Amino acid sequence: MNYLIPGLLLLFSCVFGYADQRNQPNLKVTKSSPQTLAATTTSTSADELTNAPAEKVNDPFERINRSTFRLNDSLTIHVAKPVARTYEHLVPHKVRTAVSNFFYNLDFPVRFANDVLQGRIKRSGQEVSMFIINTTAGIAGFIRVSDHVPTLVDVPPEDFGLTLARWGFSPGPYMVVPVLGPSTIRDSVGLGGDFALNPLNWYQLGVFAHNYIPTWANYTLGGARVISGLPGGVRTYEQMKETAIDPYIAVRNAYLSHRAAQLQK
Amino acid sequence: MTFPFPLPRVLRLRHRLPHADTPTRPYADRPNARRSVRAAFAAFTAFSLAIQLAQAATSEDPLTMLRRGTDEVLAIAYSGQSPASLPDRLRPLLQKDFAFDLVTRQAIGPGWRQFTPSERQQVTDLFTRLLLRIYSARVVGTQRPNINYGKPVTLAPDRCEISTQVTIPNTDKPYSVVYRAIKLPEGWRIYDVLIEGVSFVANYRAQFDEVVQRGGAPAVIQALKAKLAQPINPNS
Repeated sequence: MNYLIPGLLLLFSCVFGYADQRNQPNLKVTKSSPQTLAATTTSTSADELTNAPAEKVNDPFERINRSTFRLNDSLTIHVAKPVARTYEHLVPHKVRTAVSNFFYNLDFPVRFANDVLQGRIKRSGQEVSMFIINTTAGIAGFIRVSDHVPTLVDVPPEDFGLTLARWGFSPGPYMVVPVLGPSTIRDSVGLGGDFALNPLNWYQLGVFAHNYIPTWANYTLGGARVISGLPGGVRTYEQMKETAIDPYIAVRNAYLSHRAAQLQK
Repeated sequence: MTFPFPLPRVLRLRHRLPHADTPTRPYADRPNARRSVRAAFAAFTAFSLAIQLAQAATSEDPLTMLRRGTDEVLAIAYSGQSPASLPDRLRPLLQKDFAFDLVTRQAIGPGWRQFTPSERQQVTDLFTRLLLRIYSARVVGTQRPNINYGKPVTLAPDRCEISTQVTIPNTDKPYSVVYRAIKLPEGWRIYDVLIEGVSFVANYRAQFDEVVQRGGAPAVIQALKAKLAQPINPNS
């Protein structure tokens, strides 16, 4: 995914994952028709909801995390936000969407590799179809033509953090990474894994002997990728911050539950 | 014309209706009785109507409730009026479909039992005001969203959740909003909303836990008042 360049990680201030199913009993659901639902009425359910014990959060480094969180907060407000505002001011909305689509399409190899590593044959096929359709009909990925194909509308993106989770690794302590934002030990390792899975980085990693992409182009691409992700990330973070009683806990809870939800898909 | 013998008293029409030519209203001689009959009839009609309405509200299944509620809210949010008064205009609609007292109780958690009745009332009022403001700021955008509703999925005998996909035209991917509903005596009511897997109630619960442990109800009330003193900007 977009973690390649540190700036994008500000994006993470708002969203991205976690995985501790023990804390999410409500996610285990059974299907049944709405008619059977309507048949019974009890008030005990409301009491159960209220008296449920608080979720335990693995956050032994809370003190350090809180100060890193403050650092990221001021970086978001004083650096990321002005850049995002300028970008929004200069570039029309439709072009910004197209640029985001382009970078999403560019990350196809990472998502595909993670699908394969998790043994998700169907989803990897969907990713391949999306990539082919959007690269050709969607002009190098600027237009998400695949959204008009019903089977390709909702293909959850996989990353190496989720792959590690499905391989059985526990998330480990929650941590706030400077610049990048909320993460866990496992997801931080996942970032490194995703970096290694992206062919664009294989020259730096010594896999390719020849640099197929000029260095200046690589840096331009990286900068554009970071900037294209900023407006959404900054907005999500600000929305969370202004509605929260304690923004640190609100972001931590949001990151961990979003990650848990991704793992369920 | 006279009859050869006196008619039985019941048949003596002239006797019963002294002014047979002019039609007489029933109970003309007893105006109070007429009024009470009319009142009884009105009361009966109102009563049966109320029962029917109550039954309609109770028997409304969760999906119908959610669709109706969302349509009503979007109609008001995108009516072009000033967003400043939106929380007040949405309040009656949302209070009909959301179990705000249950939402508040869940957000506070087991510490709720130590709150006095007046503290409970105050916390519920403040938190409801905060929720209305957040909801109003988030529901308004530049373009009216399209919503796809999934099928209700059972969580418990009296609880279910409905997944929806919200698409805002000309933006990136659709995002997922899940509503959780509980069957209360008055009908199905929403008690939690999950956006992209993040539960609204659990998120506030995590934040309030520490506040409740630190200072109980007074600390919660103080934190809510401080939050309400700050503005919440609508989506741009």
